[in-house]
Amino acid sequence: MSKTKTKHKVTKIAQLSSKLSCAALLAIAISATPVTINSISAAESTVAIPKDSLNSVMWDFMAKEHLLTDTSSKKIVMNNSILVHAPKVAEDQLNLPIHVDARSIKNIQKIVVIADLNPIPKVLTYEPRQAEARISFRIKVGQATPVRAAVLDKDGVWHIGGTFVDASGGGCSQPAVAYGNDDWVKRLAEIRGRIWRTPGQKSAKLRFSVRHPMDTGLADGIPAFFIEKLELKGADGKLLGNLYINEPISENPTVTLFPILKEATTSVQITGRDNEGNLIDVAVPAPIQSSALQN
Amino acid sequence: MDKVRRSLLIGGASSLAAPILPAFAAPLKYNLKAQRIANNSYVVIGKTEDYSPDNGGDIVNVAFIDTSDGVVLIDTGSSRRYGEALKQLIYATTGKDVIRVYNTHFHPDHCLGNQLFDKKKIAALPKTISGLKASGEDFSSNLYRILGDWMRGTEVIIPEHVINYSSEKFGKHRFEMLPFKGHTDADLAILDHETGVLYAGDICFLDRAATTPHADLESWHKSLKEIKKIPHKIIFPGHGPADTTSRSIEQTDTYLTWLETNLTKSARSGKDMLEAAKMPIPEKFHSIDVIELEIERSVAHLYPGIEEKTLPFLGQGDS
Repeated sequence: MSKTKTKHKVTKIAQLSSKLSCAALLAIAISATPVTINSISAAESTVAIPKDSLNSVMWDFMAKEHLLTDTSSKKIVMNNSILVHAPKVAEDQLNLPIHVDARSIKNIQKIVVIADLNPIPKVLTYEPRQAEARISFRIKVGQATPVRAAVLDKDGVWHIGGTFVDASGGGCSQPAVAYGNDDWVKRLAEIRGRIWRTPGQKSAKLRFSVRHPMDTGLADGIPAFFIEKLELKGADGKLLGNLYINEPISENPTVTLFPILKEATTSVQITGRDNEGNLIDVAVPAPIQSSALQN
Repeated sequence: MDKVRRSLLIGGASSLAAPILPAFAAPLKYNLKAQRIANNSYVVIGKTEDYSPDNGGDIVNVAFIDTSDGVVLIDTGSSRRYGEALKQLIYATTGKDVIRVYNTHFHPDHCLGNQLFDKKKIAALPKTISGLKASGEDFSSNLYRILGDWMRGTEVIIPEHVINYSSEKFGKHRFEMLPFKGHTDADLAILDHETGVLYAGDICFLDRAATTPHADLESWHKSLKEIKKIPHKIIFPGHGPADTTSRSIEQTDTYLTWLETNLTKSARSGKDMLEAAKMPIPEKFHSIDVIELEIERSVAHLYPGIEEKTLPFLGQGDS
């Protein structure tokens, strides 16, 4: 690697984040060896970052940190057909409902949800396979923030949609409500769920919740403790989708997905684990046809 | 909120307001009016709205009773400035000082005007006191955020007179303490035996949607059932007009039942919170102000609990 290139790299990094300390920058400038931390390799990306429709000061950084780190990234476009529904104001900073609908995009690799101004911005990554490209969930917010969905298609194009949510703050650094109950460990990873099928509709609706504190690590003396990965398969073993959730997802994650089930499918298997290796493995029965009796 | 952040907010607001928005620089003033609803009994009726910079938090009902011993005040409003206006109004109406203040519950619209009164004379139920100790600063900082300069100088004052008795008398007026719960952990209603006015606090709302941030609906229904049995001439709700027909009890009860039934139905049919908030509102509730907003807020408060009850249990961990 030539010296000029290193120098150029450092300037770009400085633009990228004023938050990096001078000492760190100096250290990078002095060492002429290749550096591999994320933000630096991202700075080398030649993909242009379009102007943010939500005018977030963090947008460039978010794009470099969370989107362009994917080596298949070729382009970023703002796309208002990606719908992110949320209340205008977060009534409960610990439980802000979000619905992302990216059905307008074909051949999706993954959907990444980011809340720019959260202390931990990345909320989740969803890879729908045999499922519609939409998802509902709830998040914690630290303050008023843009909430955006970045959808990566098979051609390496990121499609960005989003909305702005006002909030009074504090959601990420509050301890989980569970600690008010002495028996939270006994009920850890309790799973509830159900599938609704509507005749004539290709996709079913799967709603499930897992009892889990989803600690961010930002509350005093409580280390990060959260569910990391959930995998959904049909009864035939076919992958429906992968869901990687992060710390900002609300306590007792409650998620709605829209798997496309074969008529004969009798259940959906959800498997996963949290960051301490606690396992989740459960079958959600899929009724052949939802009837009024089940309501 | 700490003092630094607070003063920053005020500084920020005024430096912005002075050169750019002259209208903003006009002194903020509550236009409080006392209405006589019974002998020696006056009420100040707040707007049936949500907090906004336009209303400055004048969204709550307060009441005062002119006794021969002095004035008894029920709730103090959302801000120091409100407390000031209220104190002036009380003096202009009665010519007397306040000898007793009640905080019906710990919500900020009912007790952030406390600063203007002697905290030794401010009475509340024990759980109202502990609730205000725990959440008062958060409430106050949130209201600074929403109302801005209306809140200038407001500080949380904790009541020091604990209500552990069933009644007290000032002049001819015997006030019966009626501890309920449901809207919060501790909701004080007060019956003035001299006039038959039942000051219901936020156990009753009228033509203004009931709020549920700390609600326990089962207890709330129980309290409404109890309050119905208490002989009274007028109910003065925490929000909305004075009520001579007990309509506030009926409406609050019906609304809360409807809300819970609908949210349960929504959860059973697989709706998420955003979908659940979009319920059609029946015609009988069309007279209720800010109902859409409160439904959206109530979904945030109540839906997670309702979902837990309605989603079938499937297993735990990998077993």
